[in-house]
Parts: sequence; C-alpha cells; structure tokens
Amino acid sequence: MRPELAKTAIILIFSWLQNGAAGNSVEQKIYVELNHTVPCVRLLNATHQIGCQSSISGDTGVIHVLEAESDVDWVLSSGPNPPYMVLMEANFFNRAIMMRMKGSPRVAGVAVVIPKSGPPQGFSPHNSCPNEGTGVYSDSYGPELAGCNSTVWNPLGNSLSYENFNFPVFSLNDDNETEVIRKCFREHNVVRNGSSPQFPLCAMQLYSHMHAATDTVTCMRRNNIQNSFSVTPEVVCDAINDYNVWGSVHPLNNSAKGHKEGESVVIAAARIDGRSFFWDVAPSAEGAVAGFVTLLAAAHALRRVTVEAPPTRNILFTFFQGETFDYIGSSRMVYDMENGKFVINLDNIHSLLEIGQVGLRSGSRLWLHSDPVSRRRNSSVDAEVEKLVSNLQSVAKNLSLSLAEPNVSQPLPPSSFQRFLRARPIPGVVLADHQSAFNNRYYESVYDTAEHLQVTYPPGLSPEEQLEYVTDVAKDLAEVATLVARSLYLQANGSEANLPSITADPMTVTQMLYGFLVQSNNSWFQALTSPDGFTLEPHPLQYYVGVSGPPRPIKVTTRLVQYVLANLTGTATNLTQSQCQNPENLEGENKELWSYLWVRGSVSSNSSQGEAYCVRASVRLSKAVSPAFELQDYGSRDYSTWTESRWKLIRARIFLVASRELEMLTLGVGVAVLLVSLLVTYFISSKADLLFTSSREPTSTTY
Amino acid sequence: MSKIPSKVCQQIPYGQRRQPEITMNLERVPNEEKLSLCRKYYLGGFAFLPFLWLVNVVWFFREAFVKPAYTEQLQIKTYVKRSALGLLLWVAVLTTWITIFQHFRAQWGEVGDYLSFTIPLGIP
Repeated sequence: MRPELAKTAIILIFSWLQNGAAGNSVEQKIYVELNHTVPCVRLLNATHQIGCQSSISGDTGVIHVLEAESDVDWVLSSGPNPPYMVLMEANFFNRAIMMRMKGSPRVAGVAVVIPKSGPPQGFSPHNSCPNEGTGVYSDSYGPELAGCNSTVWNPLGNSLSYENFNFPVFSLNDDNETEVIRKCFREHNVVRNGSSPQFPLCAMQLYSHMHAATDTVTCMRRNNIQNSFSVTPEVVCDAINDYNVWGSVHPLNNSAKGHKEGESVVIAAARIDGRSFFWDVAPSAEGAVAGFVTLLAAAHALRRVTVEAPPTRNILFTFFQGETFDYIGSSRMVYDMENGKFVINLDNIHSLLEIGQVGLRSGSRLWLHSDPVSRRRNSSVDAEVEKLVSNLQSVAKNLSLSLAEPNVSQPLPPSSFQRFLRARPIPGVVLADHQSAFNNRYYESVYDTAEHLQVTYPPGLSPEEQLEYVTDVAKDLAEVATLVARSLYLQANGSEANLPSITADPMTVTQMLYGFLVQSNNSWFQALTSPDGFTLEPHPLQYYVGVSGPPRPIKVTTRLVQYVLANLTGTATNLTQSQCQNPENLEGENKELWSYLWVRGSVSSNSSQGEAYCVRASVRLSKAVSPAFELQDYGSRDYSTWTESRWKLIRARIFLVASRELEMLTLGVGVAVLLVSLLVTYFISSKADLLFTSSREPTSTTY
Repeated sequence: MSKIPSKVCQQIPYGQRRQPEITMNLERVPNEEKLSLCRKYYLGGFAFLPFLWLVNVVWFFREAFVKPAYTEQLQIKTYVKRSALGLLLWVAVLTTWITIFQHFRAQWGEVGDYLSFTIPLGIP
C-alpha cells in the first residue's frame, strides 16, 4: 500500500514541477521579445571607455515615444513615472538631445528607430577629425596642421559614437516589431486630456551589460589576472583585430621576410572597414566599399598587361582592416616592415597611391591629396610626388576625368598613408572625391548604404539580373579604376604604349558592388569562394572590424576581399583539391610564392554544381592586430589600443508594468501570508499533543 | 487506507521524536571535559581562526554566565571572555579593512585589482 502512495506523490510532484518548467508559457504571456534589435556596446582605448551599457539585470523603464520637442521635457522633468525608456525617431537622435538624456537619472535607456534612408542634411556620429591622435600630424610634424586645425574633414561629425552612456541604447528597424511597441505605447501610455496615464503602463527592458570597464589598460590587466589566478578565467575584453589582405603583381617570396634586394614596390592601398554608433552595423558604402572595389577593379585591369609586358617595379595591393580604429591594419603592416616581419621592408617602397572615398564625386573631378610637410622638408620626395601627380594627370587626360590638387598647405585626409609617413617620408598621393571636407554626409553612420552610393536598380529586376545590371556608379568607379590601374602601371615603369589596353571592366565593378553592398549571396561570389567556411547571406555585408582570432573565424568581408582579389589577379590551375591544399612537390608550383585557393567555380546552365578548381594567386592575409598588443603597451599613444568589451546577454523586451503601489501591496500581502502560515504552523506544532493525540485514541482502538 | 498515517504516528510517539540526541550536548558532558573543550577552542582561535572563538562564546555562554557555579566555571568564564575579546578585535579589524577596501578599490586601480579575488564585471 505504502509504496503505491509514495508513487502517487512522486507523480504528483513531478507533474507539478513540469508545470513549473512550462512556466515559460507564463513568461511568453507577460513579455514580448524584440528580436530585430542591435545594441550599442562598450569599446575601450588607452584612456577612455565609449559606448553604452545596462545594469547587470537589465534596465527597465516606461516607454515614451519622442514625437515633438515637448516630449523631451516630459521625459526629463514633467512625466510622473520615471525612469523612462525613450523610443525616438532618428531625427531626434542627435548630440543635443542625447547629451541631455545622458545627464538625466530619469532616462532608463534609449531605442532609436532607424529608417531606410538618412536625413537629407546629413548625419555622422563620428568625430569631426577622424583618427586625429594617431595620424602623422602632431606637435613635431606640421603642428599647424595637427588636430584638423586647417581642414575639418567631417564637419557633420557630432562624436556621438565616442560618448560614454550609462544606459543602454538599442536600434530598431522600422518594421512590425516597432509597430507593436508603438501600439502598446498608444494604448497604455499616451497622455489624454492632460491627465497622466493610468497603470498598467507599457514598459521596455533592455539588457546590454558589459564586462569591461574604465580603459584598455584596466581590462587587459584584468584579463591577465583572471588568466593567471582564477580557476574559471573570464576574459573581459578583446583587442579589435582581424586581417589585412595583400596581393602583388610579381609574386613575393613569403618565407623570406624583411628587405628584398633589388625589389622596388609601388603600394596601392585602400581600407576595408568602417563603423557606426551601433555594434556590427557598418554598411560603409562610400566610406570603404567604393574605394576597395575600385582598387580590386584596378588590380583586375592590370592582370593581363603585367603578364604580357611586366613593368620593372612591383605593385603591391594592400587592403587595410581596422583603419577606423586608429589605423590598426596599416600601423601593423608598417610595424612589421620596420621589424623585418613582412615580405618587404620600408626601403623597398618606391611610392604609394591610396584610394580614399571616391564614389561620390561631383562631375568629373577627383582630388589628389599629398602631404605638404614631407614635400617641403625633402626635395626628392617632392620631386617623386610631382612625378606621381603628373603620371596620374597624363592618364586622366585620356579619360573623362579631371584631377586637381588642393591648396598646397592642406594636410592629408585621414588615410593609411599617414602611418607610412610616420615611419619615413615616402612619396605618395591619396585619391579622393573631396577637395577638403568629405562629400560623404553619412560618414561612419548606418546610412552610408548602397542607396547612398546610388547603387540602385530599376524596379522588377531579379537578383540575378541586378547582379548583371551595370549601374552608373559602376561605370564611374570603373573609370576611376582605369585611372588607378594605368597610373600604377606608369608608376611601376611600365611602357606608355601599353596603357590603352588597360581598362577596368564595368561589369566586374557592378558585380562587386552588388556583392559587397546589396547581398553577398549571389552566383558570382558563390563561384569565387571556397565551398566551406563562407556564410554568404541575402542581406548587406557589415564592415565593422570586430574581434577575430580563435575560436572566432576571420571576418567574412576580409575573406571575400581575399578571394575576389585572388580570382581577379590569379590564374586558374588544373590541380586537384588535394594538390591544391599541398602543392609542395609539384613542378612549377611554389607555396612560398603563391597561395592556392580551392573555389567552387561558376555554375553552368546544365548542372547545378559548378566545376570547382584551384586558383593560384599571389594574395595573402597578414595580421591586423595593433602593435600595442604585440608590445603589451596597452596605454600606447602611438598605436591603436581599441578593445571591445565582452558581454553575456543582449536582449530587449516589452511588457506591462503595474504601479509601484500595487507591486508593493502584492509583495506585502505575500509576506503577510508567509508570516501567518509560519505562526499557524508554530501553534499547531506546539499544540500537537492536544490536537492529534485525542483523535488517535479511538482509531488505535479499532486496530 | 486513511488510517495508515495515524498508525505511523503511533509507532513513533510524538514526544520521542523531539528527543533524538544532539551529538555534542553539553548537558551530558562532565564539567572537566567542558573545560578542556572550551580551552581547546580558545587556544585554537589563535591560529587565525576567529570563528572558533565565535563558536566558543556562543556555545559556552550559558555554562559560563547562567549556570549555577561549579568548580570549573571560573576558568570557563575567563576563556569565554577572552574569546569574546579576540572575536571583537577580529570583527573590528575586518570591518575596517572591508570598508576601506570596498570604498577605495576602484581608486587604487592596479593594486585594487591585484588584491581582488573576484573582480566585479563592468564597473571600474
């Protein structure tokens, strides 16, 4: 009898527990999860922390939608139910309002609704003088040019991205989810006839608790302490890093680092990263893509001529990663060159041509920026720059482009070239579409998208048709690419007679623009990339450099640039897949000179699978980790020290809250019930003899 | 069926259930042993173990101050008093240190981190 009773009890308890586990459904009834949100996260450098963070258990506040200026006062002073969670349209997301929010204890957090296109007057949350501390200009190098004294490059920049907020800031897309929030707000929180809204009110809770604090020095020290003393080491921040991509016209022996005797190299550079206020949102169409696509197209245009009529100098194409964060990629490459850890060193560099922002030119005009200080100080550098400029100008004459030099006393715009100049005076030019201030009204913002660059397609085209549709901007960039390619060929001592045969292909440019800006999941990218390790997605790529290194893989945009460059400059071989992985002992193949990439190949009409093959190209990755982390000098003033904090939970949800009084009442009643039950139990147990013995006597007699 | 529980009660009468031995019941220990125990705890506390003193004070308080006098009580009293004094000293020292440490840890920066066993996340 008794075991059976126990069994029933166990089953009862078990089913009750199961109900408890299914308490998730209660959670679902209370909360509405918001899945399409992006947080602003904490980044740190040698001296500061920037970004946003919530408390460890999330920040909750009553939602208030900013629709007019008066709503700001409601949130900051007059509203009766602080703290408020502010839902704002993008036009309120400016410095003035955000700084007022920052100073108020009545703000629990901010959610910004990001529209498809940016405000016409422009918006840039970046600094007005990007990377001013780590460029070449300083008190000892052109002090009159330091800190954007003479030219403000990004006058629209309001530095919001470099502020530290002690509340969470999330971005929302303008979609159904945002409509749910608005509906909840309208139904519960709207002020009607001047009377304050009645409970229950609609509230939002945002979680974005960051582990790192103060600055990189502190967080790296905590990483080290945790690693050496703690049983369960918990890393609090990671250095922002990834990989540079480089390729050369003549292969360079990768196993022999340092100075290459007799090698004279023209460097052609571009950057491949950007950022915005929010984490991992960085479309950077004009900021990065236009420039590196131009350089890729130029590299492609040079492929044939450099085989048939090789120029005497080598051309090195470099794609720098992490330039937004104080020139991580270029400073590392220069550091490696100085320390004999790169395939060439600084002595091998003949000159440098950098492609800046080139996608938004007005008319046919492009600008050649050079460094006034090195030209003034060093006459041979001045002569070389003159030559480079005249090369570019002579090439431009045959194209529908006109090149001009800005005012002689104007410094270089923010560019990787500045990091080379910090090491030594190298002749070089930065090609850009702006004379002084950027043409880019959305510099390092979420609005620097394909639409901003005018990569748009006539309505009704299928993705495949869009991929093949040559846009006007593709034609323009192809022209710039032709200019770059021919100038590089001249600069590398190629014969002028061969110039007409060097032309960038607008079709390739348009395909690249489609892949890098609209969606990476397209047949062209599929054909160019390896069958594994690539996740191509049907939405735009983001160029925030992020944190790579084991166990996290190399950033997909870096790998795409690597594979596209390899395919555009390399040669298809007939090696098998295993030979491709290890071409060590094969005739004519050399792992030191080339890298070998196995790619899918294009899909023909009669088969669903492409003919995969092995590409041999002189294209490689090199580390883009700031030298500060190599030197363990986390307070460095010379090198980038940016780190990204780690976090456990990013989450946003809305729900209805009761008034504080009701909450307290519920709690009070609960506590009272507990106390009463304790008292009752005590009395029953103290009078147990009385209560139970009397009833026991008769039953025992029946036994 | 319904009678089964009451039968269980019958088998173990309620009064007896309260009785089971607390293993170290001082009531049943002879006075000499009490003294030696109290002394052991008192001496043990000097090995940086203030909790032994705490136990000593709590455990022997009745013996020392409430119970009617017996031969060993005087000595027990001294041990208990001294244990209490040591305990107070420890409490004072620890409270002071913890207050100072919690207050200044962030300001101390590097030193503060090296002195911490667990470093809090997300704050200086």
